[in-house]
Amino acid sequence: MKSTLSLVVLVGFVIAFTGCSEDDEPLPVVATTFSNLAADPGTGFNPSTGQPTGLTRKFTLFSFKTGGIIANTDSATNKWDLGFNGTTIIVNSATSGPGTSQAQIVSGIFDELNTAPDAGYKSDNDPAPIAGAPNANLAIPTGSGQGWYTYDGAAMVNRPTAGKVIVVKTSEGRYAKMEIISYYKDAPASPTSTNAARYYTFRYVYQPNDTKTFN
Amino acid sequence: MVPAILIFASVKKMPSSLKWILGSLTLISMTCFAQDNPVDGDTIATKQLDEVIVTATRNERTMGSLPMPVSLIPKNQIKTMGSLRLNDVLTEQTGLVVVPQVNAQGNGIQIQGFNPDYTLILIDGEPIIGRYTGSLELSRIAVGNIKQIEIVKGPSSSLYGSDALAGVINIITDRPQGTRVNAAIRYGTNNTLDVNGDVGFTKKKLGVYLYGNRYHTDGYDLSPQNFGKTVSPFTNYTINSKITYKFSPLTDISVAGRFFNEDQVFRFEVESNGSRIRTAGNGNTQDWNFNPVLTHRFSDKLKAIARFYSTHYQTETYLNLETDGSRYYQDDFTQSFTRPELNAEYFFNEKNILTIGGGYIKEMVQTSRYGDEENRYQETSYGFFQYEWLPMQKVSVIAGGRYDYNSIYGGQFSPKLSSRYELNKKVTFKVSGGIGFKAPDFRQLYFNFNNSAAGGYSVLGTEVAIDRLAELDAAGQIQTYLFDPALLGNLQAERSVSINAGANIEVLPSLKMDLNVFHNSINNLIETQAVAITTSGQSIYSYRNILRAYTQGVESNFSYPVMKYLNLSAGYQLLYAKDRDVAEAVKAGEVYWRDPTTLVTKRLKPGEYFGLYNRSRHMGNLKLFYDHKPSGWEGSLRVIYRGRYGIGNIRGNIQGEVIPPSDTNSNSILDIYDEFVKGYALVNISAAKTIKNSLRLQVGVDNLFDYTEPVLIPNLPGRLYYASVSYSFSKKNVQP
Repeated sequence: MKSTLSLVVLVGFVIAFTGCSEDDEPLPVVATTFSNLAADPGTGFNPSTGQPTGLTRKFTLFSFKTGGIIANTDSATNKWDLGFNGTTIIVNSATSGPGTSQAQIVSGIFDELNTAPDAGYKSDNDPAPIAGAPNANLAIPTGSGQGWYTYDGAAMVNRPTAGKVIVVKTSEGRYAKMEIISYYKDAPASPTSTNAARYYTFRYVYQPNDTKTFN
Repeated sequence: MVPAILIFASVKKMPSSLKWILGSLTLISMTCFAQDNPVDGDTIATKQLDEVIVTATRNERTMGSLPMPVSLIPKNQIKTMGSLRLNDVLTEQTGLVVVPQVNAQGNGIQIQGFNPDYTLILIDGEPIIGRYTGSLELSRIAVGNIKQIEIVKGPSSSLYGSDALAGVINIITDRPQGTRVNAAIRYGTNNTLDVNGDVGFTKKKLGVYLYGNRYHTDGYDLSPQNFGKTVSPFTNYTINSKITYKFSPLTDISVAGRFFNEDQVFRFEVESNGSRIRTAGNGNTQDWNFNPVLTHRFSDKLKAIARFYSTHYQTETYLNLETDGSRYYQDDFTQSFTRPELNAEYFFNEKNILTIGGGYIKEMVQTSRYGDEENRYQETSYGFFQYEWLPMQKVSVIAGGRYDYNSIYGGQFSPKLSSRYELNKKVTFKVSGGIGFKAPDFRQLYFNFNNSAAGGYSVLGTEVAIDRLAELDAAGQIQTYLFDPALLGNLQAERSVSINAGANIEVLPSLKMDLNVFHNSINNLIETQAVAITTSGQSIYSYRNILRAYTQGVESNFSYPVMKYLNLSAGYQLLYAKDRDVAEAVKAGEVYWRDPTTLVTKRLKPGEYFGLYNRSRHMGNLKLFYDHKPSGWEGSLRVIYRGRYGIGNIRGNIQGEVIPPSDTNSNSILDIYDEFVKGYALVNISAAKTIKNSLRLQVGVDNLFDYTEPVLIPNLPGRLYYASVSYSFSKKNVQP
């Protein structure tokens, strides 16, 4: 942790200094960690089924550009890029929203992904999913081992699968990469079924300029 | 059995292979003379290679003549070890691991890194059924009436059909011989009481043998802080009988039967509506079998055997809530298996022997887990051949194959080729290759099981999945499909292609070593496939042929008579068992792990992937057996080591404790950064004294240093003391 953190800080400084000296160069981008994005955590949970209770069934909307949460009243705009509800992540496009956000999961290491892929981005449910299953063909697939997480049935916890980087192309045509690192409140090292679930912690890099590079 | 061994020691010296085959026929009649009377000077090191084994070829052959890896555990060794149940014996053998089946029934046996479902277990050549959740509960088998246990490693589907991928364990039971009466009682830790006895007599053409056993244990509790026991108390009864009748010197019949009943009393704490509630219940298991075998020798050259085998297994479990006595859980399972078979052995001459056979199997399964109580049937017709060619005394080649046609999974051809070359008196090479298969089991075809107790999930067999999913869908209960249901169905048999190569070497005078290198390449492995998520968030699973795996390694055994009555042996197995797709992905740099404390993701390097769960890279044993026939003293000291291994994502718990999976770094595979179950060694000792060839007193301690690992190794009780007394009477009676 220590060495990585100092490296990030160092890189940040280096980039910051070089950034100041040359005005034409695009502003440097840095990795940001967003903690505890509440994805409809409910008001409690039924201890026998492990299922949460008091769910709103609404998605928590996130914008890479603002680096923050967009009010749910703005769900019909293209202000947001991703929406989170439980383990389901939607992108603002096609069946999910009026925008043109697209995403794909790339296998690899977050820090090593320096350039967003040229192709491979998908809108939600495009093409149409299997009949009767509205979210069967999301850009970020749902289900254990299918998308970003793996369900550990013994410990009854969801672990973000190592080496899955979500690359998003926003409605404005800008690129972001993100890695989900925890599904539990305050990102405990060894979460158990008693930790509050449905709280995302993720790292991301947003490139505000018209380039696919992330450095 | 001692005279039989001596017969073979002498017969083997004759160059003619026909003679040793005829010798083995003589064995059957000669065993009538055999008694429990020890012969002076017969040490435990006696010519192990000359013992007779039937499993490898379906015919009596001396161990030394066989070109595949075989081993034999004789009765006297089982007695010296003080074993009571089959799992006690197998757990001490090189390369065999008794692994707990956490959410399944009891314990199974792992050979060459294969799961327990992939080893065929036979009693007198006929399969034991009751693979309720995949593996067989080995403790169903009492060892008191076992003459010997034969173990053939590597695939034997060419002779035995389905399930014989990793190997075959054949339990050979006692036959009527002379007049004998044995009675034994043993008492030990956990209020474990074993009482068994047998009577046998032969009178002219008739032989009768009857064995009975009652076993009771209070079970044990590895986590006393939790309600209930790790293993609940149970009592079982076994009755075995065998009647032989010689119609003429050329024709004889043997009729064997078995009955087994076990009752277990459960007390568990379960979660119900958010609170922990105590339950009480019962489990009952029964099995029986009936096995007449008619043998006729048409001539010196042709022997034919007609066998019939019918067996039945049933188990029923229920749990009631202690509060109001209402039913909390109920599960039942019934299986039957019936098989007529004919086979013949033809001796063209001393160098060419042909065995052919064919049969028909009808199997039935019925269980509440299929959503209804309907009977499900499966039929298999099969034919097999085996050709033994012995061009020279130094060389033998066995080629065989079997074709099975099954009503569900279609046809399967399983060939096998083995050969042996005797370089000189000290070195013999062996190599064998073959294909093994395992049919999709009833569970994978017909499961319609909804587990609301453990977190909530459903499992649907491939034959029912499509219809059941359509029903759920129509009822609006499917939230998301994870896999296209149309692609389910048509499960294929799992197949392995295997090679075993090795040598028997006399390193120094009396120091014997055997070495076997094995590689098994397994395709079409059936694995659960998540298919859908319901609106209430439960996962629905079915099965697909998706996985590929390989297991490879080296097994080696040494045996050395330190003194005339003291034998030292050592065994070691090195094992690599890996998922082929994962291994390839690691090699390609596509597998990652996340450090659980720093949450930083890294790439897994080749060599950091450990392999499949529940496989130890290293295992070994060191054993000292003392058997001083003149004074009647015998004893043993056995050290059994199992190296570290990982635990997979087992959906379930032991006695309220969640079993922590080894994978702690979010890549769902076992790598060197994960948590392992520590390696451990068990030390077992025993001593016995036989007085006047009839009264035998034995004491022993298993797991001397009381090693336990409560949650991770639930099948390992702590230290067990025991003492036993047995009395045997036997009288020679000469056959007319």
